[in-house]
Order: sequence, then C-alpha cells, then structure tokens
Amino acid sequence: GRGTRLRERGLSLGARRLALIAPNEDGSGAADKIRLIPQDFFAELCEQIIQHLNHKIPGINTAELCQRIQTSGVDINIGDLAKIANTLSFLFSTAARNNLSTEELVTTLGSGVSTLPKHAVQVIRHVWNEQGKAIAASEDARDVAAVGQFVDMKWKLGVAMSSDTCRSLKYPYVTVTLTVADPSGQITDKSFEMTIPQFKVCSECYLNVQSPKNNSAIVVRVS
Amino acid sequence: RRGRDGMRRDMKGLLSLSNAVPSSLLEELLRAQLYPEAPPEEFRALRAKMGGLLQSIASADMDLNQLEAFLTAQTKKQGGITSDQAAVIAKFWKSHRTQIHESLINQSRWDNVLKNMNWRVDLKSQLRHIDQINTPVAIVEMELGKNGQESEFLCLEFDEAKVSQMLKKLSEIEESMTSLTQTP
Repeated sequence: GRGTRLRERGLSLGARRLALIAPNEDGSGAADKIRLIPQDFFAELCEQIIQHLNHKIPGINTAELCQRIQTSGVDINIGDLAKIANTLSFLFSTAARNNLSTEELVTTLGSGVSTLPKHAVQVIRHVWNEQGKAIAASEDARDVAAVGQFVDMKWKLGVAMSSDTCRSLKYPYVTVTLTVADPSGQITDKSFEMTIPQFKVCSECYLNVQSPKNNSAIVVRVS
Repeated sequence: RRGRDGMRRDMKGLLSLSNAVPSSLLEELLRAQLYPEAPPEEFRALRAKMGGLLQSIASADMDLNQLEAFLTAQTKKQGGITSDQAAVIAKFWKSHRTQIHESLINQSRWDNVLKNMNWRVDLKSQLRHIDQINTPVAIVEMELGKNGQESEFLCLEFDEAKVSQMLKKLSEIEESMTSLTQTP
C-alpha cells in the first residue's frame, strides 16, 4: 500500500544519490574517492554521521577528518569528502525512516551502485547493525515520512459551564480544526482543544517560528 | 486539639485515595489511626458527611463569601458540623481549591488536547537548480491525545506564508478571548 510505495521511493532515492556522486566528466568522481579512503577512516566518518543523526554531536568535522586522511597519504579533497558525507547521511536517515534491517540496507546498496568498494559496504553494514536502531528509535515517535502540509485552520472559542462532576466549571477553551494534506495528497481534518494557558504557549511557539530568538529547535511543554 | 488534627488528616485522606487500595479498607485504616475508639459506623457517617460537604463546595467552586455562608448554615443545622470542623474544612478548601478545580476541569476534557509542541526551521535547498535557493521551512510537531490514552504526533510543514496565516488566526482567537474576559 502507501507505506510500501513511500519506502521504495525513499530507498531508490538513496541509491540514486549514491550513484550521483559517481563519475564527473573526466571520469573521476566521489565514488572513486570512497575506495581510496582507508577502512578505519571510513568507519570514523560513518560513526560521526550516525552520531549526528542521533543528535549526539552538532555536526560532522569534515575538515579535520580530511586533514588526517591526507596526512596518511590519500589524495582526497574536502569537497569530495563533504559530498560523500552528505550522501551517506541521506542514506542512513532514509533507511531509519523506513525502518530498514541491516540486510535490506545492504541489498539496496548492492542494487544502486556497483562501484561501492567491498570494505565500505562492510563498514556500513557494521555501523548500521550497531547503531541503526538508535536513529530509528529517536525518530520513531514522530513518523517523519508523514510530514503533512498545513492547509487551513478553523477555530471556535467556548466556555465549559458545568458538568456531571462539577456544577461550576466556567473555563474557556479553544477548539481548533487543522486541515492537513498528507504526503499522498489526501486532505484530512484534525481537531483538538486548548485551555487558555495552552493556547498562549502555542501562540508563542509560532511567534518564535517566525522570528526565532535563536536558531535551534525548542521543545515547549504545553501542559 | 486531637480532633482538629485528626479531621485535617482525614480530609487529606479523602482526597488522595490510592487506586490500589479498596476504599473500604482505606476507610478502616483511617478510622484505626484517627478514631480507634469510635465504632466503624460512626466513622463511616463522619466520613460521608465530610465527603458530601466537600463535594458541594467543589461543585460550586465556592468563593470565600459563599464558603462562609455555606459552612455557617451547616453549623446551625440539626446533625450538622461543629464550628471546629467548619474551620478545618474552610482552611482545607482555601489551600486546595485551585488544585481541585483544575482536576475537575481535566476530568471533563474528553476530546483530543494539545499536550506538547516541538518546532524547528529548516533551510530547504533546491538541488535541481544550479543556483541553490534557500527557502526556510518550519516543521512543527504537535503531540495530541485524549486523557490517559496514547498520543498521536501530527507533524506539519509551514512555509513563511502559512506561518503568517496561522499567526493571523491565532490573533483572531486572542481578540475573541479578550472580549470574553471583559464581558461582565
């Protein structure tokens, strides 16, 4: 069904990205460079990428790693290393989103790119086996593949006057209906309530989105 | 003296009933601790009376004037409460009113509520073009759920125009709220 289609699309995107870093006009390419990177440096790169995806480190230290690889006698420039890192990051995050097992990931690599050296595949297999699930876990509460588009919002303000357990409730609350387009294009409505304090926090959230006080993500506990 | 302290403890006991212990056993525990000489029926009657009074006070969300009038009437009734008991009830309600009222509010919220919000702003690069255009995109994640049930995460993308649209709606709500609180 829809889930399978999303998976396949994601997977083939990842494989195609790997292929993209292959030959330039002069026949060289980043894929060639991958085979030049010694296995332990390649493992270190993959480790950093996974840690970055797990939000454990803020970024991948391409410059420093490139320097050390060059010192070991390998002819690679920082641009190529960055391209490789980017592609691997995309591959790992797509695999996480689609909950790929190690075997599924390795199969994808095999089908997409024939030029990937054996030791690279081994490293990817090992890193994914050890830490792939951690990414999936940190993303799993949010099904990132299901990011919808905000279409419209309807609201109403009401006051709850009384109930069976309390004759004098008297609290105002806002009911909101969000019209949302999911990735497949289907339009659905989602409704929820907010009390006044929750509404204020929600407003502040969007004000921050519009003009962030700083550039990092903010977690706001509403209740 | 002991009576007053005992009553205060009893009130606390009424309101923090453990779900694991059947209330009849809890009642027996309270009686044994506070009024060991009293026969069980007498304690049960006292507890029911206090519970009933608290229920009326909480249901009406009484302010201080209403509370005083109510409790005074209770002390004058046949088989009502003593002025000591009234004092304890008043003190208890004053310190726990907000908490109890909020708890009653929560009990009446049966639909999805907004529990949590996360957001971040991404810069979307368009790789198809040679000149990469960086457009900011906001990703907002809302945790929705009903009381005591598993949450659902709604993840939405907003471009700048949509953020403005949302903010406009939110300020409409704010305006309505202001006029609501200003109406006598």
